Parts: sequence; C-alpha cells; structure tokens
Amino acid sequence: MLEQLTLQDTVLDAAREVFETMIFMDIETSSDACPSITGESLLGSITFKGDLEGCLAVCVSQSCADRIAKNMLGMEADESLTIEEACDAIGEVANMVMGSIKSRLQPLYPTLEVSIPSVITGRELKNTLGERAVKTIVCAWLDGQEAAEFSFLYRKSASQKTQ
Amino acid sequence: MAKSLMIVDDSATMRKIIMRTVRMSGLEFDRTEEAGNGKEALEKLQASPVDIVLCDINMPEMSGTEMVKEARKIDCCQATKIIMVSTESAEELINSVMADGANGYITKPFTPEKFQEKLAPFMN
Ligand SMILES: [Mg+2]
Repeated sequence: MLEQLTLQDTVLDAAREVFETMIFMDIETSSDACPSITGESLLGSITFKGDLEGCLAVCVSQSCADRIAKNMLGMEADESLTIEEACDAIGEVANMVMGSIKSRLQPLYPTLEVSIPSVITGRELKNTLGERAVKTIVCAWLDGQEAAEFSFLYRKSASQKTQ
Repeated sequence: MAKSLMIVDDSATMRKIIMRTVRMSGLEFDRTEEAGNGKEALEKLQASPVDIVLCDINMPEMSGTEMVKEARKIDCCQATKIIMVSTESAEELINSVMADGANGYITKPFTPEKFQEKLAPFMN
C-alpha cells in the first residue's frame, strides 16, 4: 500500500530534482495552507497506467510558467516568450517530474506506462480523477516567491482486485 | 573531424534545452538538425545522415524505441550513434533499447556533465 506520507515526499523529491537540475529554482513546501494560484494559470498533466492508474499535474500561474520556461531555455527575464512555448515547457516539467516519480516508485510498481503530457490554460484549474481517487497534493514555493501545486492522483488499476 | 548532430524530441522546448546543454557541455558540432518524432527523424536521416542522434522515447507518431529498430535496418544509419534521452529510467527498458541498437542512454533531468560523459566517446 502506498502511504500518503511517503508519496508526499516522493512527489516533492521528484519535483525538487527537476527544478534544481533543469530549471535552477529552489523549491520549498509551504507549511501553511496551499498558496492559492489566482488569475490565468497553466496546468500540465500526464496520465499513467499499469500497476497504478492515475495522473500527475503541475499547476502554476502564467507569470510563474513564463519564469520556468525562461529559466529552462536560458532566456533573459525581459525576452519575450509565446504562450505555446510556456505551455510546452510546463508539459515537459510534468513529463520529467512524472519520470522521476516513476523511477522512485519502480520497486513497488514496476509497470507504469506514461502518456504524452498535455497542458491547459485558464482559471482555477484542477487535476481530477473522479471521486474514488487517492490524492496527494504538494504545495510549494519556487525561489520563495511563486506558488506551484503538484498533484498526484491515482486509483487501483482494473487489473488489481480490491479487497 | 567535425561531427553532425540530430535532436529528436516531440517538445520544441526540450529540443532547445538539449541543444543548450550540449553547448554547455563543451561539445561542438558543425551541423545540427531537429525532428519532432521518430518518423520525421528517419526521413531526415535518409536525406542527410548525421553522426550522432539524441533521441527521446515517448513521442507521438513514432516512439524512440521504434525509431532505433527502424534506423538499424537502413544503410545510411548503420554508423550513426544513437543516444536515448528520456524520462524513462526502468532498467528493463534501457536494456531492451540498447539491445535494439542504441549506443547510450541519458535520463531527464540531465546536466551538461552527463552529455559530456556520454557523447565524448563518439566525438573522435
Ligand atoms: Mg517526449
């Protein structure tokens, strides 16, 4: 059984690995309630199936997505970036965080097949998987100033019998 | 002798990041190409082969694992070194794609040092 507590750490460690190695931003969990992401935002998500079935999503404000994309691409803060580029970057962040989670879950769940990431933009975006989903939400601050929410949702796959 | 490189990834952002990381690693190429999936990569390789291919695995149209198998059937790609660059890190998958003809494997997220280590042996 996947413990909620360890899963929180797994998601955070995976996110930290990606943000520190490729985005050059540090990441700290928020001790209070989740910092809210208001206004236009981006939600990058990726689904997985196999020993576990569900989805992982990364949600950030549009300005935060811009910063992430510019950091990843080595662009200056005042350079202009298209919304497509920001979306593509957030999709890749979701892809890499999921890849890192997957390798950490490997001993417990060796077969996890991941999809190609997709990104949506809008307001008050939510990662959902129906009522029965087991949810792990990690709220974090990037470089101490921008909020990011990582949500890992799963349900037992059809091939697994529920007791 | 100067080498040529192709970066295959469905994300344009990731292609740019890989390009930048290759540059940061100190490796130099006289020609670089890009492709958004395995199928496009094979078409470009047949028209104009390169020395080294950095290839993603999860891509629409044709995945990196299929691309490796196909590339090894084509004359122009026999000498091409194909290094996978993927978020996938399962040992089983790495072993199988290496058995199919890949020459190396880099997992995302990566560092310039990783590219230096994995590509340097093919730069001479
Ligand atoms: Mg990909």
